[in-house]
Amino acid sequence: MTHDAFSRCHPAVNFLFFVAAIGCGMVIQHPAYILAGVVCGGVYFCLLSGRRGFARIGMLLPLPILTAVLNPLINHRGKAVLFLVMGKPYTLEALCYGLALGGIFLVMLLWFGCYSAVLTSDKFTSLFGSLIPSLSLLLVMVLRLIPAFTRKTKQVLDARRAIGMGAEQTGSLRQKLRSGMTVLSALTSWALEGSIITADSMRSRGYGCGKRTSFRLYRMTGRDWVLLILIGGLFSLVILAGGTDASYTPVMKAAPLGWGFPAYCALLLIPTIFELKEAAAWHISISKI
Amino acid sequence: MKKSTFFSLLVIFLLIPGTLLLGRSLPGRWYYLTATAIVVEIMLPFFAAFESRRPQARELVILAVMAALAAVSRVAFVFLPYFKPLTGIVMLTAVAFGPQAGFLTGAMAIFASNFFFSQGPWTPWQMFAYGIAGFLAGAVFHGRKKWQNPFVMAAFGFLAVLLIVGPLLDSCTVFTMLTTFTRESLLLIYGQGVPVNLMHGAGTAVTIAVLGKALLKKLSRLQTKYGMLEGNV
Amino acid sequence: MAHFHIENLTFSYPGSAVPTLDGVSLDIEKGEFLLLCGRSGSGKTTLLRQLKPALAPYGKRQGEIFFDGKPIGELTSREQAEKIGFVMQDPQEQIVTDKVWHELAFGLENLGCDPAVMRLRVAEMASFFGIQDWFHREVAELSGGQKQLLNLASVMAMQPEVLILDEPTSQLDPISAGDFLNTLKKINRELGTTIVITEHRTEDIFPAADRVAVMEAGRLTFLGSPREVGLALRRSESPLFSALPAPVRVYYAVNKEGRCPLTVREGRAWLSEEFPQGAKENALTEPACREPDGEAALVIKECWLRYTRTGPDVLRGLSMRVPRGSLFAILGGNGTGKSTALRAVCGSVKAYRGSIEILGKRQRDYRPGELFNGCLSMLPQDPRSLFVKETVLEDLQEMGADQTALEETAARCRITELLLANPADLSGGELQRAALAKVLLRKPKLLLLDEPTKGMDSIFKAEFAAILGSLCREGVTVVMVSHDVEFCAEYAGIVGLFFDGQLITTGTPQTLFGSNSFYTTAVSRMSRHVFRNVVTAEQAAALIKRNREEAL
Repeated sequence: MTHDAFSRCHPAVNFLFFVAAIGCGMVIQHPAYILAGVVCGGVYFCLLSGRRGFARIGMLLPLPILTAVLNPLINHRGKAVLFLVMGKPYTLEALCYGLALGGIFLVMLLWFGCYSAVLTSDKFTSLFGSLIPSLSLLLVMVLRLIPAFTRKTKQVLDARRAIGMGAEQTGSLRQKLRSGMTVLSALTSWALEGSIITADSMRSRGYGCGKRTSFRLYRMTGRDWVLLILIGGLFSLVILAGGTDASYTPVMKAAPLGWGFPAYCALLLIPTIFELKEAAAWHISISKI
Repeated sequence: MKKSTFFSLLVIFLLIPGTLLLGRSLPGRWYYLTATAIVVEIMLPFFAAFESRRPQARELVILAVMAALAAVSRVAFVFLPYFKPLTGIVMLTAVAFGPQAGFLTGAMAIFASNFFFSQGPWTPWQMFAYGIAGFLAGAVFHGRKKWQNPFVMAAFGFLAVLLIVGPLLDSCTVFTMLTTFTRESLLLIYGQGVPVNLMHGAGTAVTIAVLGKALLKKLSRLQTKYGMLEGNV
Repeated sequence: MAHFHIENLTFSYPGSAVPTLDGVSLDIEKGEFLLLCGRSGSGKTTLLRQLKPALAPYGKRQGEIFFDGKPIGELTSREQAEKIGFVMQDPQEQIVTDKVWHELAFGLENLGCDPAVMRLRVAEMASFFGIQDWFHREVAELSGGQKQLLNLASVMAMQPEVLILDEPTSQLDPISAGDFLNTLKKINRELGTTIVITEHRTEDIFPAADRVAVMEAGRLTFLGSPREVGLALRRSESPLFSALPAPVRVYYAVNKEGRCPLTVREGRAWLSEEFPQGAKENALTEPACREPDGEAALVIKECWLRYTRTGPDVLRGLSMRVPRGSLFAILGGNGTGKSTALRAVCGSVKAYRGSIEILGKRQRDYRPGELFNGCLSMLPQDPRSLFVKETVLEDLQEMGADQTALEETAARCRITELLLANPADLSGGELQRAALAKVLLRKPKLLLLDEPTKGMDSIFKAEFAAILGSLCREGVTVVMVSHDVEFCAEYAGIVGLFFDGQLITTGTPQTLFGSNSFYTTAVSRMSRHVFRNVVTAEQAAALIKRNREEAL
């Protein structure tokens, strides 16, 4: 559960932002844009997950280097041949392309990491609850059952261990497999019995007696509308202004940066700025006490 | 014509070609976004059909239970870390309840379980791959009592994972990692996936062979007792 | 007009020759609090489900039920959802969604309630039930008591006229159960909702009910005020008498007729009247305790344990010594670390300091697998976790014992008739005995039990205690963790009080409960101003009788 300022906005705002950020991040391979994505995504990711965020990013950083090294082994196009590997040219262009590709992948991982933290299941279902009522109900039911089943499985494993029927005591692969299957099938029976009670509980509370409505946990405020328009505006500007073209193989070339680039940076910085602004406001209000 | 059929036709003949056309006009790595969009679009008719049917309480609960079971199943195999029975359970659910229910179970299982790990660019691909696993098993075996021999189903499961589900999961990597689509580079990526897919397929086959009979019995007992999920394929 | 008018209702399940309900006639008034008593299998649940059309089981039904003067079959599914609320036994499975707020709103969403109205109603319910603090929490993080309260609140959010509850507290510990029942009383008193409840823990609920109905084998045998029913059960010498609150049992153990006390307060007043100058004989001689010289089956020394590196200590220097062949009960509130202590003995969690010695050998000196083969076994809190097969017999066979051993154990645990049943179909008490049988097939010398009496009625408890007693006589050591003060007072050899990760004190039930003023049995609380160390109804009755004889 995150408590940053942007997470507290309406889910529609969050969703539109991630559609824009991830959509652009996926498609645009202009090096400047990729760099902007890595920086902005990284900063927001760290804001969201604190110290663990740094460690995570540290783990991800070798990724672009890896793709950079590997890509020329597959892609042999390009003029600046560095050396030959197994008779095939290893080119600078392909190396750069690999680096860019790793960058894109990094950008997406960062934004998806933020997405997972910000767009919780609550927000997802309240966004799509009225569009796909049955599916979103199905989703929240699965989300309830997953932790319950996990706990139950651990209980059964523990219980069996304490009567000398545990799997680690019995060794061989075959026995481990059989023991796991026994637990799984016990879990299945237990779950299916439970399903009858759950279904009863649903019908007893009127499920299926008419059209459903959904509880609104989040409300759109004026601020949310402003943000929504801002994100939408910047997103269209990035697309319409162009200047995002770049290619690496066979020839490296990138379009000169236009109005789209500052718009892109502004778009990506929205959550960070939002958080910093609120943090500042909070400190000021505290210092007044 | 049923509303959901009409919607499927709409998706296949309008939405997907439209996406392709639009995708071409995008700059840069358009094929990545387009491929992902198409994967999502193929799933839409399944979801729409489910919505338009207004599922009953028991149907909803049983799908939720099977999806959650599939998602959690590997916890029972803590001592065998590479063993993942998810696909096997999805396929068995599909055999019992039909291709559409199978598709939903697979897609929902992985989507929900990603809420506990992380959503990523792989999410739609995973949903589609596991959904298709369910769809195929349901389409082949559902309602054909004679074919439902555990070993036949296990063999089918193994092949389906090796040839379809696994490569679909690898496709996400293809679109993320490749800069050229030559036969050589494609072979490399898909080839690298083969050992993992073999393992995955074996896990699926073992799950179906061992659990198949008992699970199908349990499910069909529920089905006859409550008349669930009847007459929708 | 009665709220529910049940007329000569007979019901049988498909394929069953004996009707589950047999000519039941009952009027339930508006705003009434009706308690329905009966053993498991007496048809209580079936009767309750007949009152809620969405849950009515399939089967052959004769007779009529009227709700507000209308045949109940004519209610629309919407009306029955809105007007008749139903809370079931299992706290966990009734919950549909993953978040507390969503669960509260679920019923209203189904009714297509307007979002603004829904917001208000959900807010109202959250405040009434004190749920505000965990409104945004995941359902998975809640305790059993909170889950059941959430189930109640989400039914109440639909503002039903009647609330039907089927053993709602049988899965809860006594403190959460007490909270739950108090909330029910509040609902009945402040909102005027009609309440129909079945319950086998009658201590709290029996005095609070307006009327009590008793069911035996599908028939309604008694109906009346709690006092009338108490007397009637006494007169008919029904086994259900043992399920009544302690003051009633003590009173009728020494008096044939008369107006019995229902609560501890009334019980104290009655005893004060009975002994205006105090009792002449005010204490029982205590049996000699088997401690402390005997050989020890389990010795724990200075155990410290925590689950996460930075988390709080759950065990804080726990030391205890359990003599061989004793029935050792550990009592204590929720979250004091009782269950963790058992898990530490099993080695499922590891203490970071201290030592555990099992049957004279240090825990870590046991080879893997050796500990659980003939030395130590544990019966987990949920006995269902032990059953992995389709029948009880298959489950027992899984343990690899020979046929004669299996039959002997089954006979000893009185489950011979249940061998072919599916574990899922057993009642709480039966399941616990079957689980015990499975565990005993390992022939443990030290048996650990986690909350074994949860969900058992008083008759099952007595049977269960008899089995444990016979085990102890054979030299098996039993250590149980429990919330059930009454059970421990009656049957345990040694009782220990657990608090804040340690065992604070141990002693015989009589000395320990005799000296506690709050954490003790109802009989002790009721009689402590006249008797010194009386903790069970039998002891109280014996002492009263002896005093009366002396007075003659």
